[in-house]
Amino acid sequence: MPSLGAEFALALDGLSLLFGLIITGIGTLITIYAGYYFAPHEPTERGEAEGRFFLYLLLFMTAMLGTVLAADVITLFVFWEMTSITSFLLIAYKTSHAASREGAFKALFITGAGGIALLAGLLLASALSDSTDLSKIVHNGDALRASEWYHVMLLLIAFGAFTKSAQFPFHFWLPAAMSAPTPASAFLHSATMVKAGVYLLARLYPAFGSTATWFWMLSLIGMSTMLIGAVIGLRQTDLKALLAYSTISQLGALTMLTGQNTPIAFKALVIGILAHALYKGALFMIAGGVDHATGTRDLRQLGKLWRAMPLTFAVAAVAGLSMAGLPPLLGFLAKESLLTSLLEPTDATITQLVQPAASVLAGALMLTQAAIVSIDTFVTPPGAGFPACFNRPSTSKNHSQHKHHVHDLPLGMLLSPIILGALSLVITTLQPEVVATLLAQAASTTYGNKVKVSLELFHEINLPLVLSGVAIGVGAGLFAWRSQARAVLHHLMLSMDTLYNAILDALDVAAQRVTQLQNGRVRRYLFVMLVAMLVLVVAFGELPRLLSNHILTESLATALQGQITPTEVLRASAMTLAVAASLVSVIIRRDLLAILAFASSGLAVAVLIALEPSPDVALVQAIVDILSMVILVLALSRIPQHQRRQAEALNKHPSISNRYSALLAMGVSLVVFLLSWYALASRPRISVVTPFYERNAKPLTGSADIVGAIVVDFRGFDTLIEICVFGTAGVGVMTLLRLAMKKAEASRLTDSGESENNDLEERSRLTLSNKLSGIDGLRTSPFVRMVARAAMPLSLMLAFVQMVYGHDQPGDGFTAGVTVSLAVGLWYVVFGYERTKQQLAAFKPPLLIGIGVLIVLLSSTSPILFGQPFFSPYNFGEALHLPLPHGFDLTTSLLFELAICLVVLGSAIFILDTLGRPSHMEE
Amino acid sequence: MDILRAAAIAALFGIGVYQLLRRNVIRVVIGLNIISNAVNLFLLSTGAYDGVAEAYASAIGQRSDALPQALILTAIVISMGGFAFTLSMLYVISSRYRTADNDEVKGLTH
Repeated sequence: MPSLGAEFALALDGLSLLFGLIITGIGTLITIYAGYYFAPHEPTERGEAEGRFFLYLLLFMTAMLGTVLAADVITLFVFWEMTSITSFLLIAYKTSHAASREGAFKALFITGAGGIALLAGLLLASALSDSTDLSKIVHNGDALRASEWYHVMLLLIAFGAFTKSAQFPFHFWLPAAMSAPTPASAFLHSATMVKAGVYLLARLYPAFGSTATWFWMLSLIGMSTMLIGAVIGLRQTDLKALLAYSTISQLGALTMLTGQNTPIAFKALVIGILAHALYKGALFMIAGGVDHATGTRDLRQLGKLWRAMPLTFAVAAVAGLSMAGLPPLLGFLAKESLLTSLLEPTDATITQLVQPAASVLAGALMLTQAAIVSIDTFVTPPGAGFPACFNRPSTSKNHSQHKHHVHDLPLGMLLSPIILGALSLVITTLQPEVVATLLAQAASTTYGNKVKVSLELFHEINLPLVLSGVAIGVGAGLFAWRSQARAVLHHLMLSMDTLYNAILDALDVAAQRVTQLQNGRVRRYLFVMLVAMLVLVVAFGELPRLLSNHILTESLATALQGQITPTEVLRASAMTLAVAASLVSVIIRRDLLAILAFASSGLAVAVLIALEPSPDVALVQAIVDILSMVILVLALSRIPQHQRRQAEALNKHPSISNRYSALLAMGVSLVVFLLSWYALASRPRISVVTPFYERNAKPLTGSADIVGAIVVDFRGFDTLIEICVFGTAGVGVMTLLRLAMKKAEASRLTDSGESENNDLEERSRLTLSNKLSGIDGLRTSPFVRMVARAAMPLSLMLAFVQMVYGHDQPGDGFTAGVTVSLAVGLWYVVFGYERTKQQLAAFKPPLLIGIGVLIVLLSSTSPILFGQPFFSPYNFGEALHLPLPHGFDLTTSLLFELAICLVVLGSAIFILDTLGRPSHMEE
Repeated sequence: MDILRAAAIAALFGIGVYQLLRRNVIRVVIGLNIISNAVNLFLLSTGAYDGVAEAYASAIGQRSDALPQALILTAIVISMGGFAFTLSMLYVISSRYRTADNDEVKGLTH
């Protein structure tokens, strides 16, 4: 999009490479795993539904890769949002479960809000850097930090990152997202997507980082998230929920690290990202496998599975050790570097004490939870380690568990967790150079300077190692007394979920209050809208200034002094007629007479147009007005008599609401008066465009009629679309009415009572007299019939003349079409539906519209044959030297006029046909 | 005579709005068309020239402004299509809600 300066740009550097490898690597393993996960268990969802899962998963993988590879903030944002949406689809994958839908909505609600904030922040940053190029923004760090918008940008972007990475207080969507199928949870909600926020913070660190605000915000939020996630996780009974909370805790630690300003922090960050992706991915897959094998993920029911699932237990143990931060696994290294970096914080005040202490506590809790996952599930008997207040689920569920034949997982399903677990081990024991380089690269690009990463497990006995030992000891103790710890937590817990629900409830209540205003009466809505419009105009329209404007006073002066020409008198009387006739249409009680009054008002407007002088438009206005009247009368006849009587009775009693609407109408009228008076008085009296048309109409299009030339040639494309709209309206009327008729017929069959009697009466009356008479079964006089018969050929002739000579005198294809339609309408009124259908069988609307459109296409493309551009005027008669009479030009515009005529005729007959069809003929 | 035209346009518009707010749906349809007439009249009046002759190349004297005329020609045709559509909605209302009273048309029925 060059106009916006945004482009689809991708770039690969150390940080992107680390994330990219995690995404593709774990993505591949997850895909293999998911193939087994879905295979035998849910036979009903096989096939299409399963394909849906893989579609979403791969879409997500694309989006996530795009997010980390994007080199342009707009590209980044688009992919970022794509991950939110695919995450939504995956969480709501089991669409029939209410919990899935709620979880999905929650996730989308939170991350979507964050996404919008992020967009605003990124746009601000790119506006200040004059580029949407990510690298330019990153290099513009000094200017951004100095900008007065710095805190706004930082807050917006951090909000986006925190929501995505489930930081406190937005963390609660992540546990709810666990209703996604386990492969999705393992991939999106532990290994990749939730790290997008951390990625973004790390990516933008050079631009926004190393300020006090950055440090404190990220440290505090990260630390609280780390602690809260670790603490809440302990009381979870669902295996996946426990893992979700430990993920939150880990994400908090990563955020806290991003807030630091030291090379060691970035080393800890990249090792933490990798370690967590490896062990958490494995543990999630094992949780899915356990669920698969036993039919439950409830920790209170799981236990002693190691006999039945020895291999699964082995993998869980390795991954669990890494999660616990025990040597010799990558998790240990991660925790070690975390502690080291926290002991050398950017801001060496109390954080030097608080952050390591918090990390030790979180580490201890993490160890406890890792032990719960690997030991409680596989070694100890079910229900061990739970206090009494954790009610065990009812026995019926236990039964269903026992019915399940517990078996070890198929090797294919275990393959992916084995690989991930083995990697955690291999990286630290073999210490491959390539991994160290990869991590060092990632940390260096983030930090902006060289960061050394070694995968040595033991350096010496130092403070971090001691703290690690403390964490292990506390964790082991907590595990031993886990039952008591859970009981304490159970009574203490303040769930953010409650707050979220309270907010949503409040929103619901507010929405209900608002919707109570909407009582379904469209009239009232319109009233409110108009009042609002009036208020806005009066409040902000500066009407007093408008009134005192010299333009208006001058206009008034010229009006009073100016000579009154005969044309002006005629115009004034036409205007009076128009207004008076419309007033009559308000006052008069009978609807039919009101329609006639309204039609005469329209004719008065036509007279006014003719006095402009503008014969073409006046002609169109007149015949359109008459046609409107005819179809309005036809439509009136379609409304059952008792309804009509009812509606007419409404006109009799002026209600209070009528008085209000009269007042409102007067207000609107006054505003319109002022605005249009000002607009007319101040309009420029020299046109820029019209002289061009006047000069070129004859030479370019061969048409003396300038209005016609504009409509058919200069703005021909416009007119083409216009007749398409008209044709569509015709088709729309037909479909709407056919549908309504079917419904009406169906409801009439089931309906009983007075209305049916009324309808029956009407129907029998109609059937009896229809053969002989016109619309509504009324007899028509022979004289009127004669007129109607004569009108048809006359109208055809008139239409022909209007089309052929339209370019030199009033009239055009549209007028021609409406003229013929009027004659057809007259037939409907005079001869009734059936006879008109019989006698005018040749007028088939679809055929007419089809031929019309075909002619348009041919006439507009034919100039191409003669080397002229599409839709350009071309005179065939002249080019082919045809002996044509004077004034008759065979041009593309003539063909176009013919096409317009046919389309209009077709649509009008569509309308007349459906509105004129008597009700007893409905299918 | 701008003030006179503005007055006529405003009067037509006001009457149309009043009709639009009435309970009888037939009058609502009428009101809609009166409003479109008022708007067309306004557009026509915005022409730059006070013409004494029609906008033909062959005409002698000051021609009226062809541009707004061409525009309202299109507007009239489109409003005709819209009008027909409104009428069919009128019928749908009558057959579904069994009334021609605007206030009785509440909620959605199938």
